[in-house]
Amino acid sequence: MEYRTVQTTCTYCGCGCGLLLGVMDEEVVGTLPLKTHPINEGTLCIKGWSVHEFVQNEKRLQRPLVREKGDFQEVDWEDALGLVASRLRKIRDEFGPDSIAGLSSAKCTNEENYLFQKWMRAVVGTNNVDHCARLCHSSTVAGLAAAFGSGAMTNSTPEIEDADCILITGSNTSESHPLVANRVFRAREKGAKLVVVDPRRMQMARVADIHVRNRPGSDVAWINGIMHIIIKEGWEDKEFVAQRTEGFEALKKEVEAYPPERVAEISGISPENLRRIAETYAKAEKASILFAMGITQHTTGVDNVKSLANLAMLTGNLGRPSTGVNPLRGQNNVQGACDVGALPNVYPGYQSVTDEVVAKKFEEAWGVKLDRKVGLTIPEMFSAIEEERIKAMVILGENPLLSDPDVNHVEKAIRKLDFLVVQDMFMTETARLAQVVLPGVSFAEKDGTFTATDRRVQRVRKAIDPLGEARPDWEILCDLARKMGGEGFAFSAPKEIFDELAKVTPIYQGICFERIETEGLQWPCRSPEDPGTPYLHKDQITKGRGTFHAISYREPAELPDEQFPFVLTTGRMGFHFHTGTMTRISPSLHKEAESAYMEIHPEDAQKLGIHECEEVRVSSRRGTIDIKASLTEGIDRGVVFIPFHFVESAANRLTNNAFDPIAKIPEYKVCAVRIEKLATNSKEENDKKRAKD
Amino acid sequence: MDGLEEAKALISELLATDKVAGFLALRTVNGHPIPYLYTKAEELDGLYLGEVRYPLTKILTGLARKYPDNTFGILARACDERCLIELYKNKQLDPEKVTFVGMACSGELAETCECLHPYPSRIDIGEKVERQGDPDGIKEIEALSEEERYRHWMGQFSKCIKCYGCRNICPVCFCTTCTLEDHSLVHLGGMPPQMPIFHLVRAMHMADRCIDCGLCEEACPADIPLRTLYRKVRETVKNLFGYMPGESAEDLPPLETLGDGTFEIEGSTR
Repeated sequence: MEYRTVQTTCTYCGCGCGLLLGVMDEEVVGTLPLKTHPINEGTLCIKGWSVHEFVQNEKRLQRPLVREKGDFQEVDWEDALGLVASRLRKIRDEFGPDSIAGLSSAKCTNEENYLFQKWMRAVVGTNNVDHCARLCHSSTVAGLAAAFGSGAMTNSTPEIEDADCILITGSNTSESHPLVANRVFRAREKGAKLVVVDPRRMQMARVADIHVRNRPGSDVAWINGIMHIIIKEGWEDKEFVAQRTEGFEALKKEVEAYPPERVAEISGISPENLRRIAETYAKAEKASILFAMGITQHTTGVDNVKSLANLAMLTGNLGRPSTGVNPLRGQNNVQGACDVGALPNVYPGYQSVTDEVVAKKFEEAWGVKLDRKVGLTIPEMFSAIEEERIKAMVILGENPLLSDPDVNHVEKAIRKLDFLVVQDMFMTETARLAQVVLPGVSFAEKDGTFTATDRRVQRVRKAIDPLGEARPDWEILCDLARKMGGEGFAFSAPKEIFDELAKVTPIYQGICFERIETEGLQWPCRSPEDPGTPYLHKDQITKGRGTFHAISYREPAELPDEQFPFVLTTGRMGFHFHTGTMTRISPSLHKEAESAYMEIHPEDAQKLGIHECEEVRVSSRRGTIDIKASLTEGIDRGVVFIPFHFVESAANRLTNNAFDPIAKIPEYKVCAVRIEKLATNSKEENDKKRAKD
Repeated sequence: MDGLEEAKALISELLATDKVAGFLALRTVNGHPIPYLYTKAEELDGLYLGEVRYPLTKILTGLARKYPDNTFGILARACDERCLIELYKNKQLDPEKVTFVGMACSGELAETCECLHPYPSRIDIGEKVERQGDPDGIKEIEALSEEERYRHWMGQFSKCIKCYGCRNICPVCFCTTCTLEDHSLVHLGGMPPQMPIFHLVRAMHMADRCIDCGLCEEACPADIPLRTLYRKVRETVKNLFGYMPGESAEDLPPLETLGDGTFEIEGSTR
């Protein structure tokens, strides 16, 4: 008889909630919110409360698998790792190190992401390492770095509740970042004005003081329009602009071309509403911008982010508590995976691979010669496979066959690989195509750290032993690197890996496990005495002066036309997470949403003769899915929304892989689709189906 | 902290004499007080008696389900004792298998919790503090017009993110199937959940069971004043049936005593 509670950090979104896993006789039986945690203060969302449910699910992989004559065979670790090492070595020797690409994982710990990129760079010899941040906030990292010199959330989650105005755009906060929404609710109770700009009327929009629907992809236009009004009215913070920024004149000239009438035409937001938003935001003492994929996942993603940065600087809402430009990061450790260098252009700590001084530093630290050229991003990797420049791929805990845009195209590319290794907890759609599948473990079976959306580095603690023969991912990576002849991978615990990564990552330099046992530390934290940084750009903007970028509006890559008359926008729902490998096998979450649905405005549905719950066919230029219709005024006319969690109606069969020229982020949020009734659907059958549902 | 040494001595004694298979209380681990099942006296160095509360009786129910023959000890505040009484009545725990060490709450905690009876029937640890004054929540709401009241509650419910935290943390919510997940009553999915049925179904179900510990409100990520709602339901049950959950092990809940058809509500007509 044994019972214990183990304090750790949630593995779903980037809020970084503290929780307790209840373990009875080596079974994870429950979750409790940690009462004394600075982010969630004793509360959780439904995903957090259910986070123990997938851990010991029977679908977990427990032995390494190797494909033999078409089928997977269980093998021991020695054989599996030996095979991976020898195949990768052979491919590297024959085709060069750049014929191999690796996807690291925002679900894994900082230590594991550090090891992954070190292995790819120092042992395989390529900078071809990327991860799903490419698909969610790469435009944020690029845009905010260009504007401020640092690509992360400027302020802290707890501060949000003391803002006077909160502008949420492109974020379904209460469903995707519930414990950030909590602070927004509190701010409202304290009298803050809440402004939501979003094509969908979701929960935050319904509790907002002002909600307007913008046309998907019109963000640069409406943000320029707001700035046009602010400058015209003289509401800008002249002192802040003069003392702490550069490039104002060019911005001023650009936004002159965005009078309310023109902006209304592009964005669908009326001149009156533009004015209300401008006044509410500009006149607030402390205004905070929260945004997510609705801003970033566009071919103009970097432009959108730079525009929000312009708006904050114009009104002096930067470098003070409860202000700022705050990207809400989607994965438990997507911030950390970026921080520790799982990106093709930077080493840990955002240090450029093309910078000679930096490269020399890492060559010294790792004792090997390193490549000076930038590696490939995710979309470039798939193109490179098609061009036969990439022969092998190593995928750690990602499922691009469901998560990436235009998955039909991704599948074709992956099938073309000579060798694919997938390290995962589950037999995902992607793992099914691998030659070798290595069983990693969940957050409950290992130690390490995750970095939350507000740059908070926090402990993850092992609650139970790994299932079956599955092994912590850091151990697998160390073994693989060693088997390929790598030196500097003789770690016996995550703590040792963290110490090494802190040494080479200036923004993490002052952090160590001992300092974060009780509470996390927010980077930059540069010395053992440094208390961490709750908000950035305090006395000076990181890059010196903040840069205004004069940006012209550009249309999305694909707009509706006669053949494909609707705009499709995709995203998450509150009860599921990403490709559903964890949430769809968690009974409490599955119960709430068993299948996919497409939100469509009742007027559009009526025109097409579509009823509630009717199965319809949705097609784009790239693919076709069948899906149940859900009629709601929560979506704008002419727009439909599909969550991307469901393989049987995979939204990403439809999405467009056009991407932002700088960040290479795909345009998940806009593509053109056609909706058709299925011939077999009679009204009676639908009524029957509805009654059953 | 007051009473810490006495508490350690009492619990050590229970563990040493094998009177309990384990003792549930809080322990400071990595700087945070967390629920802990003590099985050895030497672990008591980290015993925590401060103001942070967790649903220990709920953990106890889980342990008792798996180990029905074992006796467990528990550090019980007044609210925990009221929970135990309800759990005994509802056959979720066997009083023979529970040994409790009673702890009186500090005046500060009693104030924070708006608790009218912040000490258990037997005080082993701490000093008894009396606290006067009804909580204001119900009076404030009842001073509003019907329209304002409706707006108030719908405004509160509209923030709900359907985490089920109010139910999950509730020490007297023990059903294995939950009406809140019955889609013939409450639509599945939805943020916010279907209003106001989701919250009212739960309030009704707490009518003869809620012991007003307040853990639900503390666990609410939308800061919905759930206690006010459940207190009103408790008040109604008290006025109608003279029944208060958690007060005595002998009083049976109205749902168990109305069965023979003889019960009449004063002033009602049949």
